[in-house]
Amino acid sequence: MPDRRYVMGLFRDEDAVVSALGSLRKSPWNLHRVHGPYPSHKIMDALAFRKSPVGWFTLAGGITGFLSGYAISIYSSVQWNLIVSGKPVIAPIPFFVVGYELTILFGILGTVLGLLITTRVPEFKSLKQYYDPRCSGEHFGVVAVCDEGKQGELERFFAENGGEVRVFE
Amino acid sequence: MSSLTPAKIDNIVLDTLSPPPRRYWGIVALLFTGAFIGLCCWIWQIFVGIGVGGQNNPVAWGTYLINFVFWVGIAHSGTLISAILYLFRAGWRNPIARAAETMTVFAVCTAGLFPLIHLGRVWLVYFMLPYPNQRNLWPNFTSPLMFDVVAISTYLTVSALFWYTGMVPDLATIRDRAEGIRKKIYTVLSLGWTGRFEQWRHYIRGYLFFAALATPLVISVHSVVSWDFGLGIVPGWHSTIFAPYFVAGAIHSGLAMVLTLMIPLRKIFHYEELITTEVLENVAKTIILTGLIVAYAYAFEVFIAWYSFNPVEQEMFRWRIFGDYGLEFWIMTTCNCVVPLFFFFRKIRTDLRYLMTISVLINVGMWYERFVIIVGGPAHDFIPHAWGLYSPTFIELGIMFGTFCMFFLLFILFVKHMPSVSMTEMKEALHTGEDDA
Repeated sequence: MPDRRYVMGLFRDEDAVVSALGSLRKSPWNLHRVHGPYPSHKIMDALAFRKSPVGWFTLAGGITGFLSGYAISIYSSVQWNLIVSGKPVIAPIPFFVVGYELTILFGILGTVLGLLITTRVPEFKSLKQYYDPRCSGEHFGVVAVCDEGKQGELERFFAENGGEVRVFE
Repeated sequence: MSSLTPAKIDNIVLDTLSPPPRRYWGIVALLFTGAFIGLCCWIWQIFVGIGVGGQNNPVAWGTYLINFVFWVGIAHSGTLISAILYLFRAGWRNPIARAAETMTVFAVCTAGLFPLIHLGRVWLVYFMLPYPNQRNLWPNFTSPLMFDVVAISTYLTVSALFWYTGMVPDLATIRDRAEGIRKKIYTVLSLGWTGRFEQWRHYIRGYLFFAALATPLVISVHSVVSWDFGLGIVPGWHSTIFAPYFVAGAIHSGLAMVLTLMIPLRKIFHYEELITTEVLENVAKTIILTGLIVAYAYAFEVFIAWYSFNPVEQEMFRWRIFGDYGLEFWIMTTCNCVVPLFFFFRKIRTDLRYLMTISVLINVGMWYERFVIIVGGPAHDFIPHAWGLYSPTFIELGIMFGTFCMFFLLFILFVKHMPSVSMTEMKEALHTGEDDA
């Protein structure tokens, strides 16, 4: 099997990235990844991403929090089972405040967990692979893969589309 | 905005992280000394006992609780700017959102100290936590004080996570331009973020949920703080208007603090191109709205007392306006309701000197609002025999001074070591703005 080469085209303009992605799709080369300094909606549309599943983590966290809030309030009240001023030991209305706060707390914790899992951070290996520090500044980096012998053609492809070229060994 | 480019935004923000001049460390040393004085006063109180504070019968809640409510209030505008205005897609929030979030996190930390200080025997704070124990002592979850513990802990956790999550892409930008040990530190802090679009896809979704969950939290947290008072029977406290009134007041004070922090920050770090006069003007316009809501709440409190036909309530409000703390009441009313009206004049709300003066006056007024509410109620409740006055002692003032110094110390340390303006959001807004045009 021939060696693979990773070539990055660096663009300043997001429209140029969208156009390069369109051309890349029609070319024989495979898109590996796209880096950018901010979330460009045009590029995300061009990449045709599906909806992120992070919301499910948020929902699961929120439901767990709501139930936990009520559970802890009810459990602790039952442990100290004393009727004061005729008020019920298990008081659903005041307990709602605890349930509500924990819904938000666990919802956020769920979101953070979801983000850590889906974005795969913390992870430091990628920084040493197909990454250019300019991609956190003002450049978008489109990384494509080709066979070793086709490297020159891929470099020309990015240059023709208006990008600076960087080859990863 | 038109002359800005992503590279320029990076340069302006990254310049703020360059090694500071000597006078910066001089200010840090002064603030540290102030915070240390506060710590010494607290240690003295722990050794001698809570009696060294001026709180006593009938006023059992003094500056500790005044400052607690004040700082929780200050915290609220950070979340308003970062979460609520994010959901409304208000572009003017972008340059000030990071500093406002930072203000939120440090303000909640400062606020969180006061219940511990007020507790006296601080080592018994674990009594507030629900855990199995042989004495069968459990927190009472029908008490607003317990609601407070849950709400403030949630608010601190959520604000800190929201703040840090928003900062990760910016930390990656700093990492990519740093060298040596700084590079290593920012590499760890940025969690290895590479800005792959797969990452952005999840990130923007997660950030949206953060904002969507933080928004109702703002409303609930200060409502819960208000119920510490509203659910009691003390005249002047027992009111259903307290929740919306406290939330509006919190945002009023927080916006004023945003101006108080942003104006010097803009000048010192040459942020004029990012934090434009229009941004500060929009904050001032929002202050007009919150000021009017607060004025309505003050007026309505008096109306409720009159309409209730309750002589104790009526006497409480007569005394509040004309009694021993009348001066504090008028400072509060003037600073919070009258002074912000000057923002109706464009000349005033676009002049930095006036903006700064008015924002400081509103901060003073909001502190006095907490004073009038917290001290006024118990000092003049049902039985004339039990009436009494309160004034803070030297120890209380020392602790208060120390916490103010601590807040500003944390803030100036942050702005010199972390990105105080969100580069990512500014770059994104730059392109969204172009599309809109």
